[in-house]
Order: sequence, then C-alpha cells, then structure tokens
Amino acid sequence: MTSGRRRRGHRNGTRDGLPVDIELYICRILPVNLTLPTTLVLQALARGHHYGFDVMDATGLPSGTVYPLLRRLEHEGLVRADWEDAATARAEQRPPRRYYEITADGERVLDAGKARYRMPGEVRRARPLKPRPLQS
Amino acid sequence: MTGRADPVALRLCLAIVRLGARIVPAPQREVWTREWDAELRHRWSQRVRMSRAGELRLVRRTFGSLVDAAWIRRQLTLDADAVHDLVHGVRLLGKTPGFTAVTLFVLATGIGAATAIASLADALLVRPLPLPGADRVMTIWERNTATGIGREDVAPGNAIDWVGRTRSFSAIAAVEPWSLDYTAPGGDPEVLYAARVTAGFFDVLGLPMLHGRSFAPAEFTRGNDKVVVLSHALFIRRFAGDTSIVGRAIELDHQPVTVVGIMRPGLELRLFEGRREPGLYAPKYYEDFESRVRASGYWNVIARLREDVTPASAAQELSVLSSQLARDFPRTNRTIEAEVVPLRDHLAGSLRRLLPLLLGASALLLLVACANAANLLLARGVTRAREFAVRQALGAGRGRLIRQMLTESLMFAAGGGALGLLLAAAALRAIAGLRPLDVAGADRIPLDARVLAVTIGVSALAAVAAGLVPALQLSRPRASAVLREGASTPRARRAPNALVVVEVSLALLLAVGAGLLIRSLREIQRVDPGFARGQVFSLQVFAWDRNDTPAKRSAFFTASVESLRAQPGVIAAGAVSAMPFSGANINVRSAMAVDGRPPAAAGEDALIYTTIVAGDYFPAMRIPLVGGRLLDARDRDGSRLAAVVSRSAARKFWPGADPIGAKVSIRFNGRPLAAEVVGVVGDARHEALDRAARPELFLAHAQMPFGSMTFVVRCQPGAAVTLRDLQRRIWAIDPQQAFYETATIESMVSRTLVGRQFSVFLLTAFGVAALVLASAGLYGVLSFSTSQRTREFGVRLALGARPRDIVSMVLREGLRLAAAGILVGVIAAAWLTRLLAGLLFGVTPTDLPTFVTVIAAIVTVSLVSCYVPARRALRADPIAAVRTP
Repeated sequence: MTSGRRRRGHRNGTRDGLPVDIELYICRILPVNLTLPTTLVLQALARGHHYGFDVMDATGLPSGTVYPLLRRLEHEGLVRADWEDAATARAEQRPPRRYYEITADGERVLDAGKARYRMPGEVRRARPLKPRPLQS
Repeated sequence: MTGRADPVALRLCLAIVRLGARIVPAPQREVWTREWDAELRHRWSQRVRMSRAGELRLVRRTFGSLVDAAWIRRQLTLDADAVHDLVHGVRLLGKTPGFTAVTLFVLATGIGAATAIASLADALLVRPLPLPGADRVMTIWERNTATGIGREDVAPGNAIDWVGRTRSFSAIAAVEPWSLDYTAPGGDPEVLYAARVTAGFFDVLGLPMLHGRSFAPAEFTRGNDKVVVLSHALFIRRFAGDTSIVGRAIELDHQPVTVVGIMRPGLELRLFEGRREPGLYAPKYYEDFESRVRASGYWNVIARLREDVTPASAAQELSVLSSQLARDFPRTNRTIEAEVVPLRDHLAGSLRRLLPLLLGASALLLLVACANAANLLLARGVTRAREFAVRQALGAGRGRLIRQMLTESLMFAAGGGALGLLLAAAALRAIAGLRPLDVAGADRIPLDARVLAVTIGVSALAAVAAGLVPALQLSRPRASAVLREGASTPRARRAPNALVVVEVSLALLLAVGAGLLIRSLREIQRVDPGFARGQVFSLQVFAWDRNDTPAKRSAFFTASVESLRAQPGVIAAGAVSAMPFSGANINVRSAMAVDGRPPAAAGEDALIYTTIVAGDYFPAMRIPLVGGRLLDARDRDGSRLAAVVSRSAARKFWPGADPIGAKVSIRFNGRPLAAEVVGVVGDARHEALDRAARPELFLAHAQMPFGSMTFVVRCQPGAAVTLRDLQRRIWAIDPQQAFYETATIESMVSRTLVGRQFSVFLLTAFGVAALVLASAGLYGVLSFSTSQRTREFGVRLALGARPRDIVSMVLREGLRLAAAGILVGVIAAAWLTRLLAGLLFGVTPTDLPTFVTVIAAIVTVSLVSCYVPARRALRADPIAAVRTP
C-alpha cells in the first residue's frame, strides 16, 4: 500500500512507532485469569496430586471446572501433561492415566496467586501421595 | 444382592463419556476419551474402598465430562465465539424487553409485508402457469373505444372473423360459455358449467390429455358433436376419479354423450363472467346466425402466438382487422377494437395494476424497517458504549466487537423473520378469506420454500443492514467518547432524522392512498343501484330443451311465476332475461331506429340493450315506473308489441321529449321487430355499482317467449322463505329443470365489490404498517437523543426548568420531524395519488377530508411516540447529572 494509508495494525506491535496499548500488553503477558480455582488447581499439582480426579478430590472443585482449567493451564505452558507409565497401568489391569505436572512458569504464577488470595499454605490431602515419576 | 459388583454405575459413566466424546472436536476426541476412560476405570479398580455414595459421586463427577467436552469445543472450534455471543445477546435482550419487542416488531412488520407481497407477486406474476410456453398464450377481448370499457366478451361474428382471418397465432379458438343439465343417479338435476370450444382450443393450451384424447376434426360438425372432455375437477367431484368413464356415454341434457378425455389438473383460465371454470368441454361448430351477431358479446377468444410474433405485432394485426370490420359493419363495430391481454395478466385480475405499486411499497417498507431497526440498535448501542469500551480495553478486537453486534442483529433478524413469516402467513390467510374473484388462485397462495428463502434472505440482509452501522460506529477506537461527544451534535443526528422524515412521509402517502380507496368504497356502497336489494332471490334457468315452442315457453314461465308468487312470504315474483349483477347474462344489444326520424348517421351510437321481462319483474326489483304504464296482461301474444324503456334510454333517444307512444324498430335474436313505447322505468345499474346504467328496452315475455330467464322473487322482510322452497315450486312444474345460478341479489351486488375491498385491505394494511414503523422510528430517534441529553436535562432541571418545559422541548423536537415528514408526504401524495385515479370513485385524488384525517392521525401517533421518551427525560436526576463528569 502507498504511504498515505499505512495499515495501523496491532500485529507489528507498534502504532506510529509507539507500543500499542499498555493495558492490552499486560493482558497479553498474563496468560490466565488468576482466579481462586486456578490457584487451587496449581497448588494441588504442586503438592503432588497429578491426576484429574485426584486434583478434584484435593481441591473439592467439580470436574466441569477442574478439567477445563487443566487444559487451559497446559495450553499456557503452566502445566505439562503426559501419559502414565504403561507397565504400571497394565499391572493394575486398566488403561494408562493422563498425568499433569506443574512447570517452572506455573510455580511463579502459583506464587502470585498465593499472594493474591493470601493462602495459608496446605491443600487438604485426600489420601497419601504415591509419587509417580514422569516417563523419560 | 451385591450392588457393589454391579457394573451398572460404571456402564452409565462410560456411556456419559461416550456422549461427551461426540461433542469434542474430532482431532481431540481420542485423547480426551482415553483420559476420561482411564480415570473412571482407575477409580473403578479401587471400588472396594468405595461406598454407594462414592459410586453416585463418581457418576455425578462423570457428568462434568460433558462440561469439559463443551469447553474444548468452544475453545477449539470457530463457533465458540458465536455461542458466546449468542448467550450474551440473549441475556442482554432479556434485560430490555421493551426495546426487544419494538425492534422485533419493526423487523417483523417489514419482513412480513415484503414476504406476503413477494409471495403474491411470485404466485401471480412469476410462477410458471401449468401450460407449456404460457407466455405466448393470449386472451383477446373487445374494447369499446367510445366508452373506454375494455375486457368485454366478444360478439360471435367478431370472434369468427378473428379466428378465421388472423395470421399471428399458431392456434386460436373461440370459446362459448355453455351449460348442460346432468342428473347424477339419485341426485337433483344440476347444471354443469361447460364450454363449447372451436378446433384450435386444445392446441392453444398445448397440454396433452390426462386420460383419453381431445376432439377429432370430424367431431366439430353437426351431428358428430356428442362428445365431451371432462375437467379434472369435475372428473374427481362427479365421477370419483374413475378412469373407466373415458369412452363411456353419460346422459347430458337427456342425451347420451361420450366422454373422450380428461383434462390435466390445475388449469384455470377464468374466461367466463362469475369466474366459474367449465367442468366440461364440448366441440363447437359455427351456427349460421352467429356470424351475423356483432352487437352482443358473450364469447371468448384464446390464442397462442406464433414463435416469431410479438404480442404487439399481433395486436397490430388485430387492430387492422378491427378497422376493416368497423368499415364493413359500421352500425355495430364502429367503436369496437380487439384487446390482446396475455393470459398471465388476465389471471392476475385487479391486482395486475396494484401489485407493482405494492411491490415497490413493500421494498420501501422493508428498507425503512431495516433502517429503523438500525436506528434502534444504535440508540441502544450508546447505552452500551461503556460495555464496549471496557471490552475494547480488555483486548477485544474490532472484528470481535462487530461480530458480537452482528450476532445480536442476526438474532433480531431471525426473530423478526420468524415473526414476519407468521405475519405474512396471516396476511395471506386474510387475502384468501377475501376471495378476490378476479384474481386466479388468490385463495390458495402458498407460503412455500421459495418464499421462505426470500424471507431468510431478507432477514439476513436486514441483519447486516441493521447491525453493521451501529457495529462500525461503536467499534471505532474510543467509540464511547466519539458517541458521547458526537451523537448529539446536529450532524450525527442528520441521518436518523432524515430517516424519520422519510418514514412519516411514506406512512402519510400509504395512509392517504388507503383513505382514498376506503372513501371510494363507501361512496360506491352508497350508490343507488336503481333497485332495492334486500330480500330478493334470483334463480337462473335455461328452459329451452323441453319447452321447444314459444307457446310451451310462455306457459312454463307463466305457470312458474304464478307458483312462485303463491309461496307464502313472497310479495312479488317475475322473471328477466338479463338480470342485473348476474354472472351469466344474455345481453342482447342492437341498433334502434325511431320511426319518423332519419336512420342513425355513421358515427352516431344508436345501440340499446333489449331485455325480456315476465310477471312482476319491476315490482319485485322495486324499479320505479316513471311514466306511462308497465308491461301487463294486455301485452299478450298477437297484440301489438309493447315496449318499456329505461330512463337513460329515454334520455338518449328522446332528449327533452316524451317517448311514450313512439314507434321503434330493433332486432332481437336476428329478427326485426317493431314496437310501441308504453312506459318509462327508472334506471338499474347492471355490471357494477360504479358503472352507469345502460340504455335498455324491455319487452313482455308473453309477446317474446324467451328460454333463458332469471326468476326474481321478493319476500317479506323476515319471511322464512329459502331458495330450496322456490326450487321445489319450479320442480313441481318441471322436475327436470336445473338451475344455472341461484343467489340473493345482495350477494350478487357485494360480489362486484370484492376486488375493490381487496385493494382497500392491501393498502390499509400497508398504511398501518408504515404508520407503525414511523412511530417506532420517531420513538427510536427521540429515545436516542434524550438518552444523550440526560445530563443536559438534569442541569436544566437543577437550574429551575419545570418538567413541563423539558417535556415540551422533547415533544417539539419530535413534532418538528413529524411536520417535515407530513410536508414531504403531502407533496408526494398529491403527486402520486393520481396513479390511483383509475381505482377511485366519487373522490378526487386530492380529496381534502382524506388528507386532513390522515394528517390528524399521524400527528396523534407522533405525539404518542414522542411522549414516552419525553417522560423518560424527566427522570433525569439533577444531582447525578451534575456530578457525572
């Protein structure tokens, strides 16, 4: 296009040489709404509850909340997911479960969340943890 | 029972997951299902530790998989935002029910009117007729250049010349209305409406028979013509669709006649008066006398254009032929022209002229409705400026905001479209209820798939039109500020204001048109037809077959009239050959010469209608005697032929003189007659209330025993006489006599008004719709502007303005717009109502009372629609208004 009507898009991040919109920029770098359920789910993962149903038990949140949250956190890179070791599952005569683990970014967001909601610390433990290492 | 071992709970859970899997988009489905499956089976493998409550919890938890699945779908598919927008839109609309209702109503009105008219136009002007090459099928009529009256039935002599001497048509045929008596086994004698058609008729239609064959050439000759083709309707109604009837003989007019073919269904030609379709077709050969009958028209001509001939050049050929005939037969044909009318135009009847106007009006109405809805949406958009600003600040892109607005508009369009469809269906039902007789098939205009497509297209267009403007305005960077600052400036309000002016002027234009038609209808209903309408029955008979001599006919009608008069409750009974307002008249017309005067000069119209009357026809109709005496027992066979003339005949032939005692000569049924005028009676209108009475000469039945007569019976008010009683009295004299048409004279008169009532209905509906739109438009514009000026009003109130001042300020603003609209509308109406001139009766296109009434109505409606926003302006809180920055 000719110079007179240059496209004023957000794509290049600048408009007339200036950053687009400060508020918008902040929205961009904060990937998730840091709500209480988000914080709770991150906390549960950090405390070693690695499976969806276990996170529900730990947080008391319903499945319709926990799973979408897990998926969004995974999408934002705050949580990593993989499949459980096949041999373990076979031993218990059931298919392998999906396994979630908090990432370093996730830990930082969790800290922000804890600060925001002034969390006393521990999430209730439903039953003793059985730590399961990620498949390598 | 070991309920725990029962895998029902697990099976239920897995079923729920399988259901959820259907919601999840295909690429994610497998992983998603595996994850939920694994979790469930893991929990189940530990069920030993699970209570029944735990099982229930597991099931409940599994239901969450559906939420999860829906969430994934929303995240990963394109319809996610649409779902969100939709939910958001529904929630918002529920919060403003008044606004929602008004906007839906506006859209429904526009869409409904446009759809109804589009259906009508589609059915009447676009939809193919059930004939191959129907565009080349023409109907040909007589037109009287002296009176300007066209679409008249054709005199046999002219029809024979047109059929024999034109070259423009690949097929051309004359059609003669006919009737045949038929008595079904065990039934009353009935008259079957029939048509006798000349050889080209079925070639004009171009349709093969459904069963059997059409007529062979040899069957168009005397003695070989005892064959008929049945219409499909009669085939079903009388012969129960039994195809074995083809080739069999049925008894018609007490003679065996062979059925040779059945026509295809759906054919409607509407050639005959009363618009009855013939049930039977019989071959027609010309009688010797018919080529000499040129003054009395009762035939029809239908033709198919040759491939290489245009309607205009066919009309040209017929015009040349007409002038030749005018030279050859100056007494009868001097003012007669042929009028070529395409079959489709003929079938559209009285709507042919109105429909294009209405199509234009409905398109305009739809545009106005869309613009109106846009105006309302914009007005609401301002109140949502804050929401949009917040959403923009939170990162919503312009496209996203536009899509949100468009989704809401589409919801309006869908709702408005659905309501509009209902409205259109109701309108078409109302149209069917009016049964406009001269419009083919108007009683069953379907709302079919094509019309539905039209509606959906219209709704979608409406949505884009109504949604794009506010969406573009609101989604501009810093839209709220722009709106807050700019919306109340005169420049920004110019477009909506102009729209309101257009709406008001359109409403005025349509309302004036409707008003003029309503007044015309009332004027027509007030016209004195020349006879008294109430409590009169008419029964038409063709009594030639068994009364084949003049003496027998005279005896039959004398006895019949006597018997009818003897019926308790009957005041007067008579009979007439040409019944006013009847569907099938024997209109005999000839030139009359007055003895002692030179014969009519070329160029002088000396035609008069000759009518035969029997018994107390004039008293039964309450046609007054003006001078001399009525026809009575003195006028019997053998005595001098006596005649009574109508007042307009007296004026025409004896201007300023007394006709009584004058000797006249006329022709009747091809015979020259000499008669003496013995009386003058009042005029009676014949075809319609808005057509002047015709000059008429009456002869006594005893002296001219005619077979085609209509009994006229006047009863005492409130007498319990039925048509059936009267029919039984005739059957007592001749059990085989069938009745062609039986009706009350009231119904015959009102039948002629149906077409006019139909136009009134259509234009009134349009006027009301336009008025509704205009008031909604005014309301929208004023709501918009008052919502903009809340702060100003608050300040004014705080500074001591009285509430009355605020109300009158808002009212002034609205009424200024209305006044501008009225001014434009009056100018447009004064100019455009001329187009209606042909439909008006007794009022001028610039009728002052109509204009004044309509203007008063529009001012009232405007006041009401301005008052609501004005009241709202009063609610401005002075303190809040002053405090807000």
